[in-house]
Amino acid sequence: MKNNYVQILYFRNSFQGVPGEDRQHWRSFLVKLGADNLKGARSEELFVALQKSVYIVYAMLGDVSIYVVGKDEYDELTLSEVIYVIMSCVKDVCGKTPTERLFLDKYGKICLCLDEIVWKGMLENTDKNRIRRLTKLRPPTEV
Amino acid sequence: MASGQESSSTTLMDLISYDPMVPPAAPAPAPVAVPSTLGRPKSSQKQLVLHVFPKLAVYNSVDPSVAPSLLMLHQQCEDNNVLRYVYYYLARILSDSGAQGLSPGGGIPTPNWDALADIDAVGGVTRADVIPRIVHQLSSEATNADTEYHSRRLAALKALTSASPSNSDILEKIYEIVFGILEKVGDAKQKRRKGIFGKQGGDKESNIRSNLQYAALSALRRLPLDPGNPIFLHRAIQGILFSDPVAIRHALAIISDIATRDPYSVAMALGQCKFVYSGALHDILHLHDVLARVSLARLCHTLYRARALDARPDITSQFSSLLFQLLLDPSDRVCFEAILCVLGKFDNTERTEERAAGWVRLTREVLKLPETPSVKLKETDNPTAKVNMDKPSSKAKRPQPIIKLVMRRLESSFRSFSRPVLHAAARVVQEMGKSRAAAYALGVYDVDEGVRLHAYFDEPLDSELSRSNSEGTRKASLLASNGPGSMDTIASLLASLMELVRTTVACECVYVRAMVIKALIWMQNPHESLEELESIIACELTDPAWPSALLNDILLTLHARFKASPDMAVTLLEIARIFATKVPGKIDADVLQLLWKTCLVGAGPDGKHTALEAVTIVLDLPPPQPGSMSGFTSVDRVSASDPKSALALQRLVQAAVWFLGENANYAAAEYAWESATPPGTALMMLDADKMVAAASSRNPTLAGALTRLQRCAFSGSWEIRIVAAHALITIAIRSGEPYRLQIYEFLHALSLGGVQSQFSQSQLSNGEDQGASGTGLGSLISPMIKVLDDMYRAQDDLNRDMRNHDNNKQEWTDEELKKLYETHEKLLDLVSLFCFVPKVKYLPLGPPSAKLIDIYRNRHNISASSGMNDPAVATGISDLVYETKEDHKESEESNAIDPELAMAWAAGLEDGLLGNNAPAMEKVNEFLAGAGTDAPDVEEEENITSRPSVTYDDLWAKSILETYEAEEDDARSSGTSSPESTGSVETSISSHFGGMNYPSLFSSRPSGHGASQYSENRSNTRRYNSSTGGSNFEGMGSPVREEPPSYSSSVLQRFESFENPLAGQGAQSFGSRDEDTSSQNPQFGEALYDFTAGGDDELSLTAGEEVEIEYEVDGWCYVKKKRPGRDGRMAGLVPVLYVSSS
Repeated sequence: MKNNYVQILYFRNSFQGVPGEDRQHWRSFLVKLGADNLKGARSEELFVALQKSVYIVYAMLGDVSIYVVGKDEYDELTLSEVIYVIMSCVKDVCGKTPTERLFLDKYGKICLCLDEIVWKGMLENTDKNRIRRLTKLRPPTEV
Repeated sequence: MASGQESSSTTLMDLISYDPMVPPAAPAPAPVAVPSTLGRPKSSQKQLVLHVFPKLAVYNSVDPSVAPSLLMLHQQCEDNNVLRYVYYYLARILSDSGAQGLSPGGGIPTPNWDALADIDAVGGVTRADVIPRIVHQLSSEATNADTEYHSRRLAALKALTSASPSNSDILEKIYEIVFGILEKVGDAKQKRRKGIFGKQGGDKESNIRSNLQYAALSALRRLPLDPGNPIFLHRAIQGILFSDPVAIRHALAIISDIATRDPYSVAMALGQCKFVYSGALHDILHLHDVLARVSLARLCHTLYRARALDARPDITSQFSSLLFQLLLDPSDRVCFEAILCVLGKFDNTERTEERAAGWVRLTREVLKLPETPSVKLKETDNPTAKVNMDKPSSKAKRPQPIIKLVMRRLESSFRSFSRPVLHAAARVVQEMGKSRAAAYALGVYDVDEGVRLHAYFDEPLDSELSRSNSEGTRKASLLASNGPGSMDTIASLLASLMELVRTTVACECVYVRAMVIKALIWMQNPHESLEELESIIACELTDPAWPSALLNDILLTLHARFKASPDMAVTLLEIARIFATKVPGKIDADVLQLLWKTCLVGAGPDGKHTALEAVTIVLDLPPPQPGSMSGFTSVDRVSASDPKSALALQRLVQAAVWFLGENANYAAAEYAWESATPPGTALMMLDADKMVAAASSRNPTLAGALTRLQRCAFSGSWEIRIVAAHALITIAIRSGEPYRLQIYEFLHALSLGGVQSQFSQSQLSNGEDQGASGTGLGSLISPMIKVLDDMYRAQDDLNRDMRNHDNNKQEWTDEELKKLYETHEKLLDLVSLFCFVPKVKYLPLGPPSAKLIDIYRNRHNISASSGMNDPAVATGISDLVYETKEDHKESEESNAIDPELAMAWAAGLEDGLLGNNAPAMEKVNEFLAGAGTDAPDVEEEENITSRPSVTYDDLWAKSILETYEAEEDDARSSGTSSPESTGSVETSISSHFGGMNYPSLFSSRPSGHGASQYSENRSNTRRYNSSTGGSNFEGMGSPVREEPPSYSSSVLQRFESFENPLAGQGAQSFGSRDEDTSSQNPQFGEALYDFTAGGDDELSLTAGEEVEIEYEVDGWCYVKKKRPGRDGRMAGLVPVLYVSSS
C-alpha cells in the first residue's frame, strides 16, 4: 500500500495510553479500514466508522491518510473538527496538499502542530494562527 | 537493533545524521554532539531544525541519552524554533512509558533504551537518570516570572504535564506551580473579548495574564481530578471568567467532571460566585469554542438532574433553561449533546427511569427563548443551523416545543452530505429510541403520540422548566406548537423524521447505514408493522460490503432492544432470523444463541411457542444450493453460496438443533415429572400415526419441535444428525408420554435406517453418503435406545410386580423395595448421563413408583438428594436449594424443590465449573456498557474457521462428560466413545464451549460464586443489592417462573442499568439473580470515622455508628444503618477502611 509508511509514522502520535499490543491491532484495523474505503476517495472527504464505542473519522489528504480516533465526548463530530484542523495545519506546513515525500520532509513541523492540536489525548487548540504561533514558541496571545 | 547501546545508537544516529540534501563532506551532527554546534550558531541550528529533529520524530521513542544534549540546548540556545523542538522531545522523554521500545505501536521501532543502558558496561543513560533533571529544569523555568521568558515558561509548564501521573513527587510539583500561577493571575477581573481569535487587543500585562491563565488551566485539566479539594474547584470556577476561550473550555470541563461527583458543592460554588445570575454562563453560549459549549451542556445536565439539588429548584431551573437554549446552538455537536442530555443520556450508566424521564422531557417541555438577543448567534460555524437562526425574531421568541425543534434540527442534519453528521444524527435518533423504549417500558409515558400539539403561548415557563426528576409522574401535557393551526403531533413529527432516517440507508458508508438500522430498531414500536424494517435489513444484508463486526453489533443492538422491551421478543427473533439466513458466515453464533435464549424467556408463557418457532425456523430452511444468490429480497432463502457461508450456516443449524433439544421442554412446558398423563397403555397401543396426532393435539409446540428434530436427524450433515439425535434423547428423557414413546420408535427406526424413505420425499438430499445404516448414527443411538429400553422394561416390571402384589394383597417387603430403589437410582444415573434431570422429582420408573420409593426412603432415612453420588450434592447445588427453601416456607412440602429451578442451578453450575467467562455474554455486556477501547479484531479471510462454534465434541462434553465427571460413574458409555466424536471437525476449545453457555434454559444459573461478579461492575451491583430486599427468590429463576424480566416487572429490574442490564451479574442467565445475598449471613460492624457521602449511592457515617455490612466490592462496603441518618438514608456505600467488621 502506497501510504503505509506515512500511516505508521502518523500513528505514533495517536492512542495515548493504549497498550502496545492493542496499538498493533488498532493499526491493522485502521489500515484495513483505509484500504477498504479510501481507494478513490476525494481529498479531504470525511469518512466515519464506529468500532464498539470508539469513533473513527478518517480522510485522505493528498497522498496521506489521516485517522482520528476518539471516545465519549470525542464523538464523530468533534473528531471531524479535529481532522479539519489537522488537515488545515498539514496543508499550511506543506504549503499545499501534501505528497508523501513532502509530508515526510515536513514531518517534524507537522509533529509540532499535532502537539499543539492534541495534548495528552485531549483536543487543545483549533485555531490555525494560534497553532502557528505556538509551534514557533510564541505565546497564544501576543504580548 | 537491540544488540547494545552502541549498535542501536549507531542505527538511530546514522539515520538522524543521514540526509541526502547534505553533502557528504559536511556530515550532519548527531544529537549527542549537539552542544558542539552551539558555537556555530545559525547553520548548526538550522540543521537541527531542518534535519535532525524532524528525523528524530519518526522513531517510536526518544533515547534518554539525548536528554543531556537537549537540556544543554534548553539552557543555552535562544532560537525559538530549536527550543520548540527541545520542549517537544523533553516532553516525549517524560511521557515515554519505557516499555514502548519493546512493543512498538507505531513509528520506527526502537529498542528498550533503559534495558540497553543497563547492559552497557560504560554506564548508559536511563530515563530514571534524566527525568529528575528534566523536571527540575522545566520546573524552575515554569516558575520564572520574568516576562522575557514568558513563552518559554508556558512551554515548560506544558512539557511538565507530560510526566507520568503515577509519580507523586512530580505531580505535587506541578500542582504547586499551577496553583501558584492561578493564585497570581486567577483573580483578575477582565472583560472577556468576544472572539479572541480576532484582533489582538489589551495591554501587555493583561495578555501575559491571559496566557498564564490559559497555560495553568490547560495543565490543570491534564492533572488528576481532585474533587474533594475546594481550591481545585474554586480555581476552575474562576476560569469561567478568563478571557482565553480554551481556558474557559478547560475550566468548564473540570467543573463538569467535578459536578458528576459532587453536584451540590459545584452548584453552591457557582451560586456564590453569582455566575448563574450575572450571566457569565450565558456568555459561554456566544463563545466560539465548540467544546466549551459541549462542556456547558454536560454541566447543566449534571446539575439540574442532581438529586442533591432537589431542594433548590431556583438553581436547577437556571441550568435547565441554559441547557434548552443550547438546543438552538448553531453547531451540530453542541446541539446533539444538548439533545442527548435532554434525553437523559450522559454516559452509559443511566437508569431506565432517567431515560424514560428524558423522553417525557423531550416530548413535553417547551423552550421560551430569552429576552436577550443571545439566540441570534451570528458566528454560525454550521450552515444547517440557519434553520433555527433565520426565523423572524418575533416568532423565535414564542415558546417552542422542544420536540419540534429537535425534529427539525435532526431533519436538517439528515439532509447533510457529511458522513459524520449523518452518523451522529442517526446515533441521536437511536438514543431517542432508547429513551422512548424506556418510557414505554416503565409505563410513565401516557401521552398519546397522535394528539395534536396544543397551542401554547402565555403560560409562565419557569415552573415548567424547573424540574426533570418528576416528569415521570407528571400528567399535564405542556406541549406547545409553533402557532395556531399547526397540526403537528409527536407521531407525525416522528414519522417525518423516520422517513428521512430510512432514506439515509442509501448512504454508501456501511457505518452510517449500521447506525441507521440501529436507530430504526430502537424506534420500532412493538405494535407497529415490522415489514418495512425487515425488508430494509434483508436488503442491506445482501450487500457483501458489511463487515462482520458491524453485523454482530446490530445483533447486540437487537439484544439490547429486547432487554428494553421484552414484548418484542418475537419481532426481534424475526429480525435475527434474517441475519441467520442472509449472512450466516458473518455473525457470531454465540451472540445469536444468547439472543434466542433471552427472547425465548422473555416471550412469556403465551409467546414461547412463537418464539421457539422463530428460532427453529432456521431448521426448515432448504440447504444452500450452489449459486442460490437470486433470492435477494426473500428472507426465507438462504444466501450461502460460498462454501464458507454454507459451513457457517451449518454450524448455525447445529446450534439451533442443540437449542431446540435443550429448550423445547421448557417452551412446551412438558415434563415427565409433571405429566398429567401417566404412560397409559391406551396411548402405547396406538399406532405411530395416531400417536403423532395425539401428541400434536396435546402439545403442538413440542410436537413441532420433534418433527423438526426428526427431520434433522436423518437429513442434515453428519454433525447435525448427531446433535439432533442427542436433542431427541434429551426430549425423550424429559418428556412424558406419548412423546417419549414416539421418540423411542423414531430412534429405533433410525438405528435400523428405516425412516429415510418416510422423509426423503420432502427433503433434498445434501448429497452426502449417509452410510449403510442410512444415517450412520447406529453407534450413537444404541446407548440411547438402551436407556429407554431399560426404563420401559423396568416400568413393565414394576407394573407387573404391583399387579401381583395387589392381586395377592401382599405388602412390599423391604428387600423388594430395596431392589426397586436400586433400579430407580441406577436408571437415574443412566439418564443423567444424557441430560440433566431433577433427581428429586424424576421418576424413571413412572409415577406409580413414587409412593414405593418414598416408603423405602422414609424407612431408611434416605434424603432425596443425599449422597455424594448425586451431582446436586457433589457440586453444592443442594446447599443452594435448601437455603433458598428455608427462606420460602411456602413450598408445599419439605422435599418439593422446584425441579426446574434445580435443573437451572445444576446446569448453571456445570457451566460455572467450565468457566465463567461466557464470550457471548461478555460481548453483550461490553456492548451494553458501551465499552470498547480494546483493540478490534481485523477481519481476515481465515477468521471464519476460527470463530467459536458448536461442535459435537463441545456439546457432548457439556452434556455427557460433565455429568459423568460429577457422578464419578464408571459407565463411560454412550457417545463419548463413538467414532463420530473423534471425527469432529472443529478446533473450538472445550473450555470455550463451557464458557459459551449453550443457551439452554436449564443452564440458567444463579452464578453466585465468588466476588468476581461483584467486581465486574460495582455500580450495578450496588444497585442490585440496594434494591434486592427480600425478593431474591423472584429474581432467581425467571425462566422457571416464566416471568419476562421487563423493566416494569420489579423494582429490582428497574434499578438495573438501562444501558447495561447484564453487567455485574456476570454470565448469569437472564433474570436469574445472584443468591449470594440471601445465603450470606449478615455481618455487623462499626464506623471507625466520620464519612460524608460524596454521591447518590454513598452513605454518610458517624464514627461509632453500628452498621450491617452487606457486601464488599472494590474497596467499598455496602452497609445498612439501624436508623436513618440526618440525610434520611439507611443504606449505601462507604469506603472499606471506614468500617470495622465485628
